[in-house]
Amino acid sequence: MFLINDLITLLAANLILSRALGTSTLFIAAGGRKNLTATACVITFFTTAGSTAAYFIDKMLPSAVSDLRLLMYIIVIGVLYVLLLTAVYYISRPRFEELRKYVHVSVFNCAVIGTLFTINERASMNGSSYDLGDYAAAGLEAGAGFIISALILTVAYRKLNSSKVPSAFRGFPAMLVYLGIISMAVYSLK
Amino acid sequence: MNDRRKALMGGVLGDNVVLSGLMVISPVIVCGDTLKNAAALVYAFSAITFLAVLISSFVPQKLPYTVKVILYAVIAAIIYIPVKFASKQLYPESISRIGIYFPLLAVNSLIVFQTEAKFFRMNKRDMIISLIFCILGFDIVMLITGFLRELFAYGTINNHIVDMNTLTDGLSKPFGGFIFLGLMCGAYRFVRNAVQKDKSEVRSDTDVSYK
Repeated sequence: MFLINDLITLLAANLILSRALGTSTLFIAAGGRKNLTATACVITFFTTAGSTAAYFIDKMLPSAVSDLRLLMYIIVIGVLYVLLLTAVYYISRPRFEELRKYVHVSVFNCAVIGTLFTINERASMNGSSYDLGDYAAAGLEAGAGFIISALILTVAYRKLNSSKVPSAFRGFPAMLVYLGIISMAVYSLK
Repeated sequence: MNDRRKALMGGVLGDNVVLSGLMVISPVIVCGDTLKNAAALVYAFSAITFLAVLISSFVPQKLPYTVKVILYAVIAAIIYIPVKFASKQLYPESISRIGIYFPLLAVNSLIVFQTEAKFFRMNKRDMIISLIFCILGFDIVMLITGFLRELFAYGTINNHIVDMNTLTDGLSKPFGGFIFLGLMCGAYRFVRNAVQKDKSEVRSDTDVSYK
C-alpha cells in the first residue's frame, strides 16, 4: 500500500506529466531502450547534482537580484556538464563518442533547468524548512519522474509510430495526444 | 520559390519550430491558454532568441562544442535579465502566471542547439532571415494556441467575454495543452502534406506518397 501511495505521489508530482517540462527530450529518450537508459541516467545526474548546487545558490543569492538566478543555474549546470564529460572520457574512453551525445542532449533543457526552478519555487513556499537533503531528494524525484514518463511513452512508442496511425498523426502528434491523456489521468490523482 | 528561399523562410510553414521540430513546446502547452500570456511569451521568446543567437554568432567557432554551448546559454541568460525587466513593465499580469516558463525560454533548443546545427552554417544575412522566420513560426503558433484555448476554455478573447455555448475547461490545463498541440501538429502535417502533394502533381505526373 505504501508503494502504491509513493507511486501515486511520484506520478502526481511528475514534472513532465503535470508541467510539460522536458517533453522534447522525453521523445528522444523513448525512442529505444538504450536511449532511455542513457538519457534518463544523465538527466537524473543533472537534476540531482544541479539541485544540490542550487541549494547554495538559493541561500546566497539576495532576493533583490533574483533575476540572476538563471545565470547562476546555467553556470552550475555548465560546470557539471564539463565534469561529467571529463568523467565519461576517463572512465570509458572507447565509448566516449557514443556516450557524449546523451550528455549533450540532456544538459540545457527544460527538464533540468525547469526542475531547479520548480524546486526553488517549492523551497520559497516552505521557507527555511527546505534543506539541502530536500533539494537533493527533489532533484532525484524529478529524475525518477522523467524515467517513469519515458517508460510510459516507450510502452506505446511503436504503436504510435506504426502504419496503422494516419500519416499526419503518426509519431509526435500521436505521442502528444497520448501524453495528454496520461497527463489527464495524473491530474485526476491530485 | 527556389530551394534557398524555401529553406530560409521554412521556419513558418515548411519546418515550423513548434509543430514540426517540437521545440519550445513546454510554454505553449502550459502557458498558452490565454492571448495575454501568449503575447507576453511571444515578446520574451522573440527578444531573447533573436538577440542571443545574433550575439552568439560572434563566439569563435574554433572553440570546443561544449564550451560554445555553455557560452550560448550564458549569453541567453544575460539577455534574459533586461528582457524580464521590460516584461514586468509591459505585461505585469502575465509575468506571474508564466512563472518558471519565462527563464526557460532562455535555454530553448533554437539558442542552444540549432545555432550550431543550422544557423552558424549560414552566412550572417541568411542566418538573420532564417532566424526571423523561425521566431515568427513560434509566434504564430503561440498566438493561435492562446487565442483558441482562451476562446474555448474561458469563453473570452483577450479578456473580453464572447457568446460561447459550450466551454471546455480542460483546455486551460496542461493536459488540454498536450492534446490541443497534438491535434494542431496533426492538422499542420496534413495541410503540409496536401500542399506538397499538390505542388508535386503540378510539376509532374508521378505519384507522391505521404511520408
